[in-house]
Amino acid sequence: MSGPPPAIAVRSLSKNFGRFPAVRDISFDVGREEIVGFLGPNGAGKTTTIKMITGLLKITSGTVWIDGLDSREHPAAIKRKLGYMSQKFSLYPLLTALENIEFFGGISGLAPAQVRRQAARLQEEVSPVILRQKVQDIPPGIRQKVALFVCLLPGPEIILLDEPTSGVDPEARRRFWGEIYGLKTGGKTLLVSTHNLDEAEYCDRILIIHNGVIVAEGEPGELLRIRKQATIEDLFQAAIRDHGQD
Amino acid sequence: MKLFYLIKKELIEIVRQKELLVLMFVGPVIQIIVLGYVISSDVRHVPVGVVDLSRGRTAARIIQRVRQSPLFDVRYESGRSEDYLHLLKKGEVKAVLVFRDAAERPRAPLHYPEVQILMDGVDSNTSMIAAGYFNGVVRDYILDDMKKLGRGLPLTARATFRFNPQLRSINYMGPGIVAILLTIITMFLTSASLVREKEQQTMDTLLISRLSPLEIYVGKALPTALIGMIDMLIGLLVVVLWFRIPFRGSIFYLFLACLVYLAAILSYALLISVLSSTSQQAMFFSWFSLVLFLLMSGFLTPVENIPPVLRLLADINPLRYLVRIIREIFLKGNGIAYFWKDLMALAAISLALVSLSLLRFKRFISK
Repeated sequence: MSGPPPAIAVRSLSKNFGRFPAVRDISFDVGREEIVGFLGPNGAGKTTTIKMITGLLKITSGTVWIDGLDSREHPAAIKRKLGYMSQKFSLYPLLTALENIEFFGGISGLAPAQVRRQAARLQEEVSPVILRQKVQDIPPGIRQKVALFVCLLPGPEIILLDEPTSGVDPEARRRFWGEIYGLKTGGKTLLVSTHNLDEAEYCDRILIIHNGVIVAEGEPGELLRIRKQATIEDLFQAAIRDHGQD
Repeated sequence: MKLFYLIKKELIEIVRQKELLVLMFVGPVIQIIVLGYVISSDVRHVPVGVVDLSRGRTAARIIQRVRQSPLFDVRYESGRSEDYLHLLKKGEVKAVLVFRDAAERPRAPLHYPEVQILMDGVDSNTSMIAAGYFNGVVRDYILDDMKKLGRGLPLTARATFRFNPQLRSINYMGPGIVAILLTIITMFLTSASLVREKEQQTMDTLLISRLSPLEIYVGKALPTALIGMIDMLIGLLVVVLWFRIPFRGSIFYLFLACLVYLAAILSYALLISVLSSTSQQAMFFSWFSLVLFLLMSGFLTPVENIPPVLRLLADINPLRYLVRIIREIFLKGNGIAYFWKDLMALAAISLALVSLSLLRFKRFISK
């Protein structure tokens, strides 16, 4: 085997909730310093897959390797490599943005001075007045920014973002993808789930998941060309048809 | 150190909810004062009706004593024979005292009318106590009569009441109310804490952080334990200063018992939180549990009255032991030599609940 292992390697991964198969035998890789878009409608299995990768959900069958480490054998080491931002931004609404930063920095084992130094960086972009407001009172776009900042505090190499753009306006979405791109150029690996199919254009590669099965995988332009489709929406419909699903 | 951040965060979240703060620190004072007056087993001002058919002096004197007694409140008086039952049916009175002239015995050395007490048995406890009070009034009257004639009863048993000589029911209830308060505050705050993390989806972030499951568990329990202890202290001050209930025991033992109890109740509340998917479910579970804990604790009615089949529930109820220990410490001033068995039982229940709750929590995070 030559070269370093992929940042994320998923093999024959399945998850059943009782008798319901939420994810069915999926396999894919996420290469280093790559932005992979995990596309699919609500309920397709995106969050379940991401939660299995993070170790938040028990795997029914299959394997996940993070940076070459088996997720079941090295959960603690994997925790240190991963950053995760959940659908609702995972901030405490009654705490101010700065208090959230202090809290998440603290539980990540960062020294207070280190957290303050990092928070100062955010204060260059977001007004300190806003950062001193309770999270429940600040606009969704800023909340999203703070949530991403908090996720990056411990310095993870691999970042999993679950629907990070849901509930924010198109302008904030565009800015957010700009930040994601900046992270990639800074050496981070990103797996970003979204149900907005038009966000595929921001990704190096996309995985389209439907009913727990990956129905298409590849570089967006290449996929459109091979499948002779004009838009990702068309590609999505064609991929489902080809897999005999509705 | 990581635990410190979690505890700080929990406390900020509580402090930021101003309504909750009022409920937590002002509510208990109001609650204890109100409960202290309301939850009383003293029977006073029992509404009674008096029907004097004898029209004799004896009956008139006994009726006068009934009127003067703070135990009774004479609401109805009559000298005619009629259907007294309707008074009880309408709920105007709890008892009807009927004095009949037919029983005046002219040849007897002491002349007494026949007395019938018709009681409303719906509230059996009050009825029994009121009937006892009334018999006491009649007995005292007869004894006074006998004394005047130089006679007395050949044998009387004189009761001496220790630890609560005035037989104030608040002395008995007050310390128990402090235990109830500790339960209410800690159970509701803790049962809501984990489930709130689930609802906000911050639970996932906590789990993926570098906090260990044990740190999360302890970090959730400690802030409410602290608030519970502060509330207990407030409660103690209220019952001692407001109700003048004597505190005769050791504050150290009281805190020790409360800490052991807190381990049980917080584990139970965390178990509720783990099992619930929504705050609403957690609240329902907590209320349901609280009512059971209360009824099976001996706080309102003696545990001995519980049927043997249900006694097991009382035996595993941690509140039962705390209520007993608090009363022992408060009123009797007893040391650990007197309640170590209760403390051991409480510790065993705490240990079982902590283990069960931790086990369930670990299962929840590895689902």
